[in-house]
Amino acid sequence: MRGGTELIGSELLNGANMKVTRCQFRVPIICYILLFPVLICALFLTVQPAFAEATQPGGPVPQKPDNSACLGCHGQPEMTSKFPDGTLVSISVDKVDYEKSVHANLSCQVCHTNLSGYPHPKNSASNPRDYTMQYKDSCKTCHPTQSSQLNDSVHARSLQTGDKNSATCADCHEPHKATKIKKDAQGKISDEDHAKIAEVCARCHNTIYQQYAKSVHGKGIVIDKNPDVPACTDCHGVHTIQDPTLNKFRLGSPDMCGKCHSDWRVMGKYGISTNVLNTYVADFHGTTVKIFEKTHPDEETNKAVCYDCHGVHDIRSVDDPQKGISIKQNMLAACQRCHPDANLNFPDSWLSHYIPSPTKYPIVFYVNLFYNILVPSVLGGMAIFVLTDIYRRIFRKNEETHPAGGLK
Amino acid sequence: MSIEKQNYFTRFNVAQRIEHLLLVISFTLLAVTGLVQKYNTAWISEVLIDGFGGIELTRIIHRIAATVLMLECIYHAVYVGYKMYVLKEKASIVPSIKDGKDAIQVFLYNLGFSKHHPKMPRYNFAEKAEYWAMIWGTLIMGITGYILWNPILSASILPGEIIPASKAAHGMEAVLASVAILIWHFYNVHLKRFNKSMFNGQLSREEMEEEHALELEEIENSPKLLRPTDEEIRKRQKIFYPVSAFLSVILFVGVYGFVLGEQTAITTLPQSPVRLNVFSPQTPSPIPTRKPTPTPLPSPTLPPQAAQTKPVVATSLPVAGAVTWDGEIGKLFSSKCVACHGQMGGLDVSTYAGTLKGGSKGAGIVPKDAKAGTIISYMEKGGHAGTFSPEELEKVRAWISAGAAEK
Repeated sequence: MRGGTELIGSELLNGANMKVTRCQFRVPIICYILLFPVLICALFLTVQPAFAEATQPGGPVPQKPDNSACLGCHGQPEMTSKFPDGTLVSISVDKVDYEKSVHANLSCQVCHTNLSGYPHPKNSASNPRDYTMQYKDSCKTCHPTQSSQLNDSVHARSLQTGDKNSATCADCHEPHKATKIKKDAQGKISDEDHAKIAEVCARCHNTIYQQYAKSVHGKGIVIDKNPDVPACTDCHGVHTIQDPTLNKFRLGSPDMCGKCHSDWRVMGKYGISTNVLNTYVADFHGTTVKIFEKTHPDEETNKAVCYDCHGVHDIRSVDDPQKGISIKQNMLAACQRCHPDANLNFPDSWLSHYIPSPTKYPIVFYVNLFYNILVPSVLGGMAIFVLTDIYRRIFRKNEETHPAGGLK
Repeated sequence: MSIEKQNYFTRFNVAQRIEHLLLVISFTLLAVTGLVQKYNTAWISEVLIDGFGGIELTRIIHRIAATVLMLECIYHAVYVGYKMYVLKEKASIVPSIKDGKDAIQVFLYNLGFSKHHPKMPRYNFAEKAEYWAMIWGTLIMGITGYILWNPILSASILPGEIIPASKAAHGMEAVLASVAILIWHFYNVHLKRFNKSMFNGQLSREEMEEEHALELEEIENSPKLLRPTDEEIRKRQKIFYPVSAFLSVILFVGVYGFVLGEQTAITTLPQSPVRLNVFSPQTPSPIPTRKPTPTPLPSPTLPPQAAQTKPVVATSLPVAGAVTWDGEIGKLFSSKCVACHGQMGGLDVSTYAGTLKGGSKGAGIVPKDAKAGTIISYMEKGGHAGTFSPEELEKVRAWISAGAAEK
């Protein structure tokens, strides 16, 4: 390394030799240029052993750590370990997968700090879940943002209340296999990775996943890998997942659905109306929900939001012959969940996201038309009359003769 | 009565003024609590809704004000009925052709096209227009309000579409009424001249001349207004009281039905606590477990991929040097075992002494006894992470049997 820098230095000083030396040292120079920002970063992030190790000052490329000691045993498949509760778990790490993973440059002990030496120190975990929990804070060192986001999430909260089934980092991101999530320049996740999200959540939320997989959104993901349909995280968030039973989530949900359903660039492809949110907000339920969202975001309202009628994870196409709510009976069933006495006339009280026209909901259309004519006519007439009175009182004050006796 | 000198004229009695006050309060509350709902996105609406204590409370205030207005309407009907039927007073609020003519004449007079301001009766055209607009508006608001308050009952008789239609009408009518009050009522009785008759009950002679010249003439020219005799009044009261009581009861029942007829639309059922089965893990895939192998087979038991990536385990060392610890055996141990059984603690086979000593389970090797010692027994049992190839194991056995020489 030192030799290299000296040569760069002499190159700058000695212009005559420049051509030759550049040819000889092109590759190292590029490497150093590339390495320089990495080293600078490493200086600032020296607290992170991962980066410190990855950028050893001797070589232009990060050197892989020597994990052969651990992989000597754990690299073999079919390695198992039995916990005191009798659960048998695999303790194998696939070396090939590991070296392809985003953590390939980390030595095992960066995370497994408690596992130096062999025989390994005795571990207090009595079952696999306890063991996983021992590592729940390991990721924080290198991933502080995600870690603090997770701390605000429903997963962390339910863990605090003692539910050990709550997801920690490793439950979603398999640490020995996780590859880098592919994102484009705008940070949008690749279609391929987007389509895999639901499978990750399904590990713990399988019942919901089964419903979702049959829904109009889930089918798009499972069958077509369509990036337009929402994966779990598009509605629930990624690390900051909030409790969806909270009032706040409920009140914010129309905007959440509206984000895609008001976007003609997405909806246009499928011939879906983009008026769904504004027609909802114009109606009683939507108005109330929006007011609540603004004035009392943490309070409960029983007014319907999108998913009360359309379903939550099992959202079907409105034309679905079994459950689609464009079929009046299905819509009535949705109404009756809150209004049990509603009869078959009642669903028509909701304009089904249509804007009234002479063909769709004509009564509403003509009532509006009537008032759109009546209100300006009456108010305009009154205003004109008042203006003439003002005119007389200001400009014709002195002409006031009234032989009829009405005015003095 | 010396009429010539009278400068103030009683226009509204106390009962009428209280009625007006009730109307002012209920109308204003209805208008404000209603319009903030119609224009709920405006910042002023947000402020007001918050001020009323949230949207639900705003709606409760709206409904209370509506109830007050409905009761006031019943009272007004009875009151007007009494005056019309029992006292036989002139129906001075009923519009006539003259009102139309007056309106046109005032309009022309204002613009200077007419030299004469009309002489107007007790209720002039502007007041009649306002009164009947009020009646019309209250009827519309009452009917559409009923439908909105009791949508399920309404939809059981009428098409469901009547509900959004009512909502449209209710809102637009509210705008019409409120703005009309601001333009017409406020201008005519507050701005152009502050008319205090609703507060003190009186109008001045000047006001009477301008607005009710005809009434003034009538008062002054026929001072003795025809009033029925007490006997006539008593006779009519006997009919009026039971009839009006009966009709009032019906109307009260109507208001009761209006207010309490249907509860589901107001409260609705509580959101059914559908607790999803949130945590339902997938069945874990079976753990790949090592099959017991009776003899220490060489690395081909490993999958080819693993074998490739672990050449240390898979390949035999080239035989070099004498069969001693310092010669061949030590190197074999360091390449195959020391990764784990080195300086980390426990069994340490990086040195000859450590190998002899063994770990927690006893001596590693026992010189001259190739069947004793933990190392050989582990290797023979199989299933250990690192293994010797059969040739290597044979070599180690031979070395032990020969005395396990260090040098």
